Amino acid sequence: MRVTGLLGFITAMWVMILAITAFLINFIAPIDFILFRNGLDRFVISLMQASIAIVIIVMLVWGLNKMKEIYMQKKLQL
Amino acid sequence: MLDLSFGNNILIYGVIVSTTSFLVTLIATPKMISSLIAQGSVVQDYHKPGRPNVPRPAGPILLGGIVASEIILYLLTLNMTIMAIMLTTVIAFVVGLIDDRKVLPGWFKPIALIAAAMPLIIFGAHGTHLNLVFGNAFIPLLYIPLILAIIPIVGNTINSIDVLNGVVTGFVIITTMPLLLSIAIFGDNDVFLAALPLLFGTIGLYGYHKFPSKIFVGDSGTLVMGSMYGAIAIAGNSEIIGVIALLPAVMNSFLFLSSVKKIVEHRQVKERPTIIRADFKLAASKEKNAPITLVRLILADGPLSEREIGYYIFKLAVFSSSLAFISILIQYYFLSGGR
Repeated sequence: MRVTGLLGFITAMWVMILAITAFLINFIAPIDFILFRNGLDRFVISLMQASIAIVIIVMLVWGLNKMKEIYMQKKLQL
Repeated sequence: MLDLSFGNNILIYGVIVSTTSFLVTLIATPKMISSLIAQGSVVQDYHKPGRPNVPRPAGPILLGGIVASEIILYLLTLNMTIMAIMLTTVIAFVVGLIDDRKVLPGWFKPIALIAAAMPLIIFGAHGTHLNLVFGNAFIPLLYIPLILAIIPIVGNTINSIDVLNGVVTGFVIITTMPLLLSIAIFGDNDVFLAALPLLFGTIGLYGYHKFPSKIFVGDSGTLVMGSMYGAIAIAGNSEIIGVIALLPAVMNSFLFLSSVKKIVEHRQVKERPTIIRADFKLAASKEKNAPITLVRLILADGPLSEREIGYYIFKLAVFSSSLAFISILIQYYFLSGGR
């Protein structure tokens, strides 16, 4: 089917989103308890969580870009 | 979760707002078409033989249907969240209308749409927890910049999928379904009711925008749809579900931006991603510098007619909406404590 590759691309994006949300919920949201045993200021913790979330989103964009390059080479020979 | 108990009038209110938005767009669009033609507000449809003139924009009609419904709903409920959603949509419409009238630089829309996000913050339409499928995160401060980013991103994402006859309206109709279910489960009655005019107003317009289009929606129409989609996703605690449903459009925006490497208007790009053949079928450009778009990838396996491309985009929208439905099930399982 013509759009099979695109369906695969969308599924990969979905899996990446689910992986990131799982990571954010399980490791980043409770980071103050896991790493510091509630010993840090709430604002510092929020800043740290936001910074990690931004790094993860940058990594997501990088991952998507790599995926796009591979897909482009296969589909359009670019 | 929706409160369906007897006496809260959700069914009656739902019928009133849905019917109003649907009938306003359905009845007023033919008049708008005649008026736009009389004013000479038409653009050429490059993908048809003879390049016929098509009136543009349909944004004012869509907005009219939505605003009429939201005002009625506000008078019935007196909920300020409805006012916030409506104002966000109106500001985005004004931004789109300016863009319809004048060719503005690519940065204009994303920056101007930040203003459209302000009513959601001012009226406190957002929550303090972000639903992240496997649980929710308490982010009272971080939510504010997130809202300022979501409205411009969703507005431009929906705008970018307005590629061929009927595509953006059909795409929004399909992808609003999982969003409505998500709001019904994770939001509340008033936000669910406020979301209905987007679906029914767009259904009313689709009959005129589908292939072959009798009217183009224009930037004012696409930004109305995109900003309202973002606003109801925020107010209905359904941001991630909305992103998943919109994945084909997100992918289209991402491919375009990562190949052009700057924020620029589609019409300002010299190399076209597709070429029109003598038989008016579209084919993928072989130019290395041409932007990569969803349509170009669909055409990578061979030329297609405009109607066929729209059909494939709708297939992708149905697929991403299915993934959004699965995500709703996962989220419901985790947020209800794994019961």
